[in-house]
Amino acid sequence: MSETATPAKTEKKRAINRLKSMYPLRNLVQQDYIDTLQASNEGKPTVWSMLNYWEGDLPLKAMGLNIVYPENYATLLAASGAAEPFLDASDSDGFPNHMCGYGRATIGYSYRMMKENGGKIPPEAPLGGMAKPALLLGSGIICDARFKWFQALARYFDAPEWCLEMPMMATFEGTEPDLEEYQVKFLTREIKDFIEFLEKLLKKKMDWARLEELIVLATQIHETNYQINEARKAIPGPMHSTDFWSSMPPSLFFAGDMKVSLKLYQDMLAEVQERVKNKESGINYPERYRIIFAELPPWHSLKFFDSLAEKGWNFVFESFGYHNTRPIDLSKVNDPCEKLARFARNFWFNIFPEAKKDNISNPVVETYLKIARGFKADGFFMHPLISCRAASCSLRTVQHFEQEKLDIPSLWVEGDIIDKRVFNPQEVLAKAEAFEQTMDHYRKVRKSKGLDW
Amino acid sequence: MVIATTKGLSRAHEIYTDRGLRVRELRKAGKKIVGYVCLYPPVEIISALGLVPFRVFGDMSEPITAADQVSITVVCPFLRSIIDLGLKGKFNFLDGIVGAHTCDIGMTLIISWRDYVKDAPFTHLIDVPHTDHAPAVDYFEGQINSFKRHIEEFAGEKLTDDKLKKACELHNKQRKLVRELYDLRKSDPPLLTSIENVEVLIAISSLPVDEGNELLEDVIREIKSRSIKPPRKKARLLVWGPVFDNTSLYQLIENADANVVIDDTCVGTRAFWADVKAPYNLHALAQRYLVDIKCPRTYRDSCHQELERNYDKDLDSRFNYIKKAITDWKVNGAILQSVKYCDTHGYEVPNLRHYLDTLGIPSIYIEHDYSERSLAPIKTRVEAFLETLD
Amino acid sequence: MHNLISHLYFAGIDIGSTMSKAAVVDDEGKMLAYVVGPTGAEHRLYANKLMEDLLSKAGLTLADIAYIISTGYGRVNVPFADKQITELTCHAKGVAALFPEVKTAIDIGGQDAKVLKIKNGRLVDFLTNDKCAAGTGRFLEVTAETLGLELNEMGRLSLQTDSPVKINSLCTIFAQQEIISRLSEGELLPDILAGVYIAIATRVVKLARQLKVEMPVVFTGGVAKNAGMVKAMETVLGVPVLVPEEPLITGCLGAAILARDEAFKLVQRGEYEGHRDKKLTEARIDFGDKSK
Repeated sequence: MSETATPAKTEKKRAINRLKSMYPLRNLVQQDYIDTLQASNEGKPTVWSMLNYWEGDLPLKAMGLNIVYPENYATLLAASGAAEPFLDASDSDGFPNHMCGYGRATIGYSYRMMKENGGKIPPEAPLGGMAKPALLLGSGIICDARFKWFQALARYFDAPEWCLEMPMMATFEGTEPDLEEYQVKFLTREIKDFIEFLEKLLKKKMDWARLEELIVLATQIHETNYQINEARKAIPGPMHSTDFWSSMPPSLFFAGDMKVSLKLYQDMLAEVQERVKNKESGINYPERYRIIFAELPPWHSLKFFDSLAEKGWNFVFESFGYHNTRPIDLSKVNDPCEKLARFARNFWFNIFPEAKKDNISNPVVETYLKIARGFKADGFFMHPLISCRAASCSLRTVQHFEQEKLDIPSLWVEGDIIDKRVFNPQEVLAKAEAFEQTMDHYRKVRKSKGLDW
Repeated sequence: MVIATTKGLSRAHEIYTDRGLRVRELRKAGKKIVGYVCLYPPVEIISALGLVPFRVFGDMSEPITAADQVSITVVCPFLRSIIDLGLKGKFNFLDGIVGAHTCDIGMTLIISWRDYVKDAPFTHLIDVPHTDHAPAVDYFEGQINSFKRHIEEFAGEKLTDDKLKKACELHNKQRKLVRELYDLRKSDPPLLTSIENVEVLIAISSLPVDEGNELLEDVIREIKSRSIKPPRKKARLLVWGPVFDNTSLYQLIENADANVVIDDTCVGTRAFWADVKAPYNLHALAQRYLVDIKCPRTYRDSCHQELERNYDKDLDSRFNYIKKAITDWKVNGAILQSVKYCDTHGYEVPNLRHYLDTLGIPSIYIEHDYSERSLAPIKTRVEAFLETLD
Repeated sequence: MHNLISHLYFAGIDIGSTMSKAAVVDDEGKMLAYVVGPTGAEHRLYANKLMEDLLSKAGLTLADIAYIISTGYGRVNVPFADKQITELTCHAKGVAALFPEVKTAIDIGGQDAKVLKIKNGRLVDFLTNDKCAAGTGRFLEVTAETLGLELNEMGRLSLQTDSPVKINSLCTIFAQQEIISRLSEGELLPDILAGVYIAIATRVVKLARQLKVEMPVVFTGGVAKNAGMVKAMETVLGVPVLVPEEPLITGCLGAAILARDEAFKLVQRGEYEGHRDKKLTEARIDFGDKSK
């Protein structure tokens, strides 16, 4: 089941039509790693941060901190096939092996750095590894692992830790009339306290003007992304999911210089819009099926999508949790902490009114229904993960509602984010044949019910 | 009025075996039964409004046959069992179910219940912040208030300060009685077994608070007046971990020549150790539930705002309540148990074991999938662990 | 009080999931004889037979045995045993009797694997894998079947190479598919076999590392008779391992030694009841139900 090299590559065309504008964005992230490492070697304090949906990213950047995202680093470990020794190290230190792959990789990395390499970066860590943290920024958003594993890192590092918060709810409770106000109040206070803490830690004051500047840039980056997502709805789909996954860090956690990444996203928008005009597809084969991917990709086996592209499977949209929503107008908000609170909260809560109207109790379901309609999906590729419950637990319900409300079928493919040993590409390709027939059938059903795709 | 024909430990056993026994009777008599999952829904509010709180558990002996239609398999088997039972109509005596965002899957459970289960049509999900910071406590108070408003509608009456005070006092009384029950295991040998203890605690969680208090008083009296004392065993153990609502594990341990004298689980001490403090208002509830309950799902920030996180200090701050239990109950070994796929507890294990090491308490970690057959391999490990305590 | 110094002996019987073994030691803990046989389905009947064989091999009768300890998966099914002790404790004891300096013991059985931490001859910590066939003797059996080879042949062949093929599959069944694909891709049989042994060793050593492997390391279990497996263990561990002459019997040997210890303890406390006139029967009627 290992990936064999494609024979006669020169004769075969590339399956996925990669956007030119994706490459500089990807390089920005890689360069960012190298710059971060360089900066830590020069003594600049490094923060290990969890994805915090921008609550923490912007204050950290405004304070000029060097930030590393272990979750993202773990995907690099997976993609470069180097994750196993770190996963094993985590197991050997007594952590259960059913835990989040990113968590295992980070814990394993920390163990090897501190217990086996005397505090130095493990030599085989790709891209120069992650520097020892001076601060750990955990987050309770999305899942328990994300704050529990940082808490567990006290075993290896004496670095102080902070845990950021974000409420998570079901539709009914999430649309209570007074909820927004007291949630924003809560988040604003937390962010304020967090910034006070950073000031104490770094012995310098927050540069509020800089923070405001970054918030403006953040809004612009997100607006641009939103436009790209809208443009991606075209038929044929102009941008394949793999391009998104390769270029998302600058919008997901504002990796790199935000002025630079804003420009690069604007370039990407232009390129996508150009493709739409020319009806150019994200794959180099005729688009036979428009597929939505949920939720987290198999970082270790991204080349696998080439085989599906050759069958005309165009992955037109993916991973709602990695995107942003259209940014809200924050001009009437004065307090920058409140701005951040509203900015971050908006991503999770903006779907609630629609979910309430449609009487859908799980907001993730409503999000994917909206996506399926917007992108005129033929099928869902559901990828539940053995180590990530949070990103997998709603998938059954999404599957049911997509079938029930929109007659869109789903292909269920189990795997893991990091551990490639549990993913079986041959099996998927075999199932794909049958699934095409299912998708053909439901196309007819949808048409018969008056839907236009 | 229905008079219970059995009393004390027999009554506890009766209800442990058929947990809906009493609430079904009450429902027939016109009472509304509100189920709750986990420790974070404030039962005081439920009781104060004249409703009967009923703690919802899974069933270890029921094979999971329906849950896979709505849930992926790699999730907490205890919660999977609950949704499985819900789908099969086994909770048809509930008028409502309340859950809290105590863990990812705990939250998903209530959402799925809403989508797929017909029984218990009143549902509510309380969001619980992850930390115990001051702004979090205030936010949680807001959530409790939202819950209060919703359940007032359902109950058809308003919550008054007086009703809430009375309910807090009754529930605090129950906690005090439970602590008295636990005191009976401080002696060597303990005056009751952990099996009896679990049955009593499950029973009171399946009864209205006043009936639970009566049962506890009967049980304590009964135990104190027993002439036959249980045998002395060399090992005095603490059992730690998430909910284990079945006597089978305790049976297994006690058969292997050990006494479980205290626990840190949510069937046991986590549920009953902390009282609601005066004034008995929503803020006091928020404080009790978010801050005073010691469960790994809450990030108890030992070094909040500090510029360094000292490992030993952090561990001590998080776990010194266990140290106290070990000292007061003269514990000489610990069994850490958890279900497969529980992240909340899984991440704690190496650090907790390290802490126990520093206290000189040997420990073993066992993982199971909340099914009776998963206990067989555990038997050997527990026995071998006890053999190392020689 | 009975005088145990001269003519009495102590026995240990280990009913494993695949193989059953029994041993008898004298009052100094020296082993007189041992027997090994396949367990089969009827533990109780088999325990009787095994004991009869042991006695006959040692030239003793049941009356000569002062104390008997049963261990292993089927330990509750030995009606004539005086006490049951887990195989974890017994293995540790047996290994320490053969190698007094041992710190880590690794046992790969037919259906499970155990790692034992031993300090001053006593078990202090342990880990087991009993959920998955991949790190056990079963993996080898299945592979032997797939390739139409005898287990011994597999071992010998694997020693012919120094470049094992990496087997990726975590699962015994999927690994068979992988082995067949690699063969069809032209990989050499010895390389693949060496890879299989490395795969098993890797699984087990992973478990071992959770307890921090300290030397000397002793390797036991039926699988330890296989030179290819021993080589793989040493390669993956990075340190040499010691293998007893008969790696299957450390459990029952330890049980026998513990039987001696237990009997001596009881004698000292004045609690030894004497060996009853035990008869081996096919049912457990005479001795009461010891299987609690």
